[in-house]
Amino acid sequence: MKKRLISTLLILSMTAVMAAGCSKEPASDSNGDKTEDTSSGSNTEGNEGIEGGSITFMAPDWAIPTDDQLKAFTDETGIEVTVNEVGWDDIRDKMVTAAAGGQAVADVVEVDWSWVGEFYAADWLEPLEVSDEVKADMPTLETFTKDGNVLAIPYANDYRLSYYNTKQYEDAGIKDEPQTWDEVYANCKTLKEKGVCDYPFALPLNAEEKTSTYLMWLAYTMNGVVFNDDGTLNKDSVLAALKYEEQLIKDELVDPADKTSSGMDAYKRILSGSANFLTGPTSFVSKSTNEEDCSVIGQITPILVPGKDAKATVTMALPEALGVTKFSENKDAAKKFIEWYTSAEMQEALNETNTAIPTLNSVLKKLIDNGKIQNAGAMMEQAELIASPFPGGVPSYYAEMSNAMYNAINKMALGEMTADEAYAEMEAKVTELAAE
Amino acid sequence: MRKKILPYLLLSPMILIMGVLVFYPIIATFSYSLKKWKLTAPNDIHMVGLRNYAAILKSDSFWYSFQNTLFILAVVVLLTTVLGFLTSIFLNIDVKWSGILLAVAMLPWALPPYVNGILWKFVFSSGYGFMNKAVIGLGLADKPIEWLSSRWSLLFIVSLVVTWRSIPFTALVCLAGRQSIPGGLYEAARIDGGSKRTIFQMITLPLMLPFLAIGITSTSVTAINVFDEIIALSGYSDLGKNILVESYMTTFSFLDFGKGSAVTYLVMLFAGILGIFYLRSLNKEVEY
Amino acid sequence: MKFGKKIGYFIALVIFLILTLGPFLWTFVLSITPEYAMMEKTTRLLPEVITYDNYRELLTSGTQKGSILITGIRNALKAVGATLILGIPIAMMSAYALSRMEFKGRLLIKNLLLITMVIPVMATIIPLFRLFVARQWLDDVFWLSTVYVSSYLPMITWLMSNYFATIPKELEEAAQIDGCGRLSSFLRIILPTSYPIILSAALIMFLNTWSQFQIPLILASSLETKPVAIVVSEFMTKDSVQYGLTAAAGIIAVLPPAAAALIFRRFLVSGMMGGAVKG
Repeated sequence: MKKRLISTLLILSMTAVMAAGCSKEPASDSNGDKTEDTSSGSNTEGNEGIEGGSITFMAPDWAIPTDDQLKAFTDETGIEVTVNEVGWDDIRDKMVTAAAGGQAVADVVEVDWSWVGEFYAADWLEPLEVSDEVKADMPTLETFTKDGNVLAIPYANDYRLSYYNTKQYEDAGIKDEPQTWDEVYANCKTLKEKGVCDYPFALPLNAEEKTSTYLMWLAYTMNGVVFNDDGTLNKDSVLAALKYEEQLIKDELVDPADKTSSGMDAYKRILSGSANFLTGPTSFVSKSTNEEDCSVIGQITPILVPGKDAKATVTMALPEALGVTKFSENKDAAKKFIEWYTSAEMQEALNETNTAIPTLNSVLKKLIDNGKIQNAGAMMEQAELIASPFPGGVPSYYAEMSNAMYNAINKMALGEMTADEAYAEMEAKVTELAAE
Repeated sequence: MRKKILPYLLLSPMILIMGVLVFYPIIATFSYSLKKWKLTAPNDIHMVGLRNYAAILKSDSFWYSFQNTLFILAVVVLLTTVLGFLTSIFLNIDVKWSGILLAVAMLPWALPPYVNGILWKFVFSSGYGFMNKAVIGLGLADKPIEWLSSRWSLLFIVSLVVTWRSIPFTALVCLAGRQSIPGGLYEAARIDGGSKRTIFQMITLPLMLPFLAIGITSTSVTAINVFDEIIALSGYSDLGKNILVESYMTTFSFLDFGKGSAVTYLVMLFAGILGIFYLRSLNKEVEY
Repeated sequence: MKFGKKIGYFIALVIFLILTLGPFLWTFVLSITPEYAMMEKTTRLLPEVITYDNYRELLTSGTQKGSILITGIRNALKAVGATLILGIPIAMMSAYALSRMEFKGRLLIKNLLLITMVIPVMATIIPLFRLFVARQWLDDVFWLSTVYVSSYLPMITWLMSNYFATIPKELEEAAQIDGCGRLSSFLRIILPTSYPIILSAALIMFLNTWSQFQIPLILASSLETKPVAIVVSEFMTKDSVQYGLTAAAGIIAVLPPAAAALIFRRFLVSGMMGGAVKG
């Protein structure tokens, strides 16, 4: 009985294949229509709007506007937006695969600061127009400008800011916030000796992007320079920063776990009081006041990044932006969307809904002044010091360079190399890449 | 006449699918591997013959990755085969709840490799992951051990994690193999007075060999193609990278499609050599 | 002796359960641990405060993360369905031809099919993507499934043809002498005796499809088509490493295949035992 039942089922499934084979036609047709819609510029139904048409928008979850916001945009412009939410790490892979196939992965895409160089070299981004007024108010725009072309407009700000745990400073009898990197080091030693904090310095050392960028801004804030004009590493500055990190590791001021756990985990140590000092993302301003993230609320204060003899005069930004793909067939609508998305009003709204940090300094100031951003500390002051450490813009070989850097640092952290050897290894690679 | 066409007719859907979705793409990839094709230099794409291959075979980085691949392959195949076979014997024991045990045994298989990697990262994380809580709690160590920070221990853990995910398949294949042996054979052997051991040696083992072979083949392919677990456990670090990570980095991170395709081809060539070796054992069709 | 055997079995059972379920249990513990407590330096296994927020966030209808997760599960199930409907019959036809018919090129075709088992996804994905773009097959569960089928066919066909080969030829010949055609002898003799292997094949395809990651990432990552494996990985990106949420999502995502394995098991086991007497 059972056997017969099963063979009947199998026969049925076989017939189902046939049926599926036939009924497939209309299904794939309708799908074709859908793709057509998104790529055919002005579409008939949208004509009653000002411009109409429709675009696709690919971004990670934190960049997706609310449905209401999108609806407001569509009502205003007649442009339909299809949202394609993709994990941040996967966006670049998708862009790459699509571009290799001569395809637009979407009309509007997320562009991380570190991708700009290669996307520009590969000719995937459409230059955008930005008014001088915006340019003056948006310091991070410089990162997305190559040879005078603005390739993407930053929507989420992220620049390095320092944080320290004030209660631990009191417990260890340290009075003032650190002004220089040497003071940070000395204070960390005191904290460890007095048993207040075992591993006071949060430092990403895992083989990943954050480890490279940490070295970059450490060198940048310490000595004001990272790269020479020809793109090679500035030896004095980078080696000094590397030796600083080496010293921290040797004195066990850094948690051994930081060598293999993710960079984000290293940062997050400050939120549980397991680290005292962090130079890290701006998002920690809000994280340090959020009960779900932080168990030492009220103890963490954002301060200006230390420098060599006094506070650093620059800081590095790692913003995210939106750009229009070259392969897009709806460039005008796409540009309109970006203009709307990065406008002052939207930045204010997105801070509320997505906790995005505004890239327009005027908006940032407004939010801090009216208390929308709490525990801001030196946030505003620091934002005015944003500058780019890359003399010719982010290079087209950034990924390969960063890979060489973080691997060398990681080997140093694991004790396989000295700072000098690690420097020699990364220098060789960077010089080779810069020469190409 | 009709008889002669029938087998080809039956095979045609398979041939169509494999032709379009497997053979055509690998030929295309081969043609990429002969080109200089870097996405960041879109105006400089041209044929370079085997130069990509030559450059790769000369680089230390490739051979380092290759060693890692070999290590993972050896450990995973050995462990999976032994443990998978043992699991199948265990699952074959007829108890009331053996069906549920079978379902439980299949669970690791359903985990996407990346999620699997994350899951084990929780266990082996260098701070207070499960293993460190355990060894410190039991007094075996007084501070956290860095499980993932030396090459061989990292590779060994990667291998364990991959083994864990591969055991279910091998166990299932062994179980299916074991149970597809006609019961009559056992009865006959028993009537002939065979002891348990001789029955196992003369009947079970030889008849299961082809099934073991497919388990080993599948495990080898999995082991050569480990990717997500390495990324989840050690990021894009040089330490634990295998050739597949190398190929991914070259293609998607450094945007060198020519060279990346060549690395991929070398992975495939290596797997292919193993494959031909397995084919021989697979083709010994079983006769009862 | 008997007692010793029982003890042995019991020990094996405990080891088996710890090794198989342990990581899942640990993941579950993490999923109910508050985010900040994860980094705490303690050897306590259970957190002081237990939170079900992660599950609440994922399972409450209307939350964004929750609805994405559910859609992901539905998408994965759709892909499983399409893959089975397409893959099982094709594999059976091929296996039947390869194991029970004599024709020119049989061994060559079989070898060519088997050797494709070793081809990594990376070797085909870029040309496949170009093909999918050209034919407008992107973000379509059906075409995605054809790619899955192409990667399962060698293994499944081999398993089935192995199984078909164990069915005595005389049975089929007798049926043919009785006047049955090839088709009806296939339906009457081969099919009824081989459902165990068909069900195993279905389960293999289910589980493999469930864990697909790279292929759907490139070929079908729109919200309407991306499977749960991708959704789970997305809870863990760049600046928002949500371990608890990832752990909770991982636990939820493994439930459907677990349920399938549980339901299948009755057919699987009873079917498998059909041919064999315990030895």
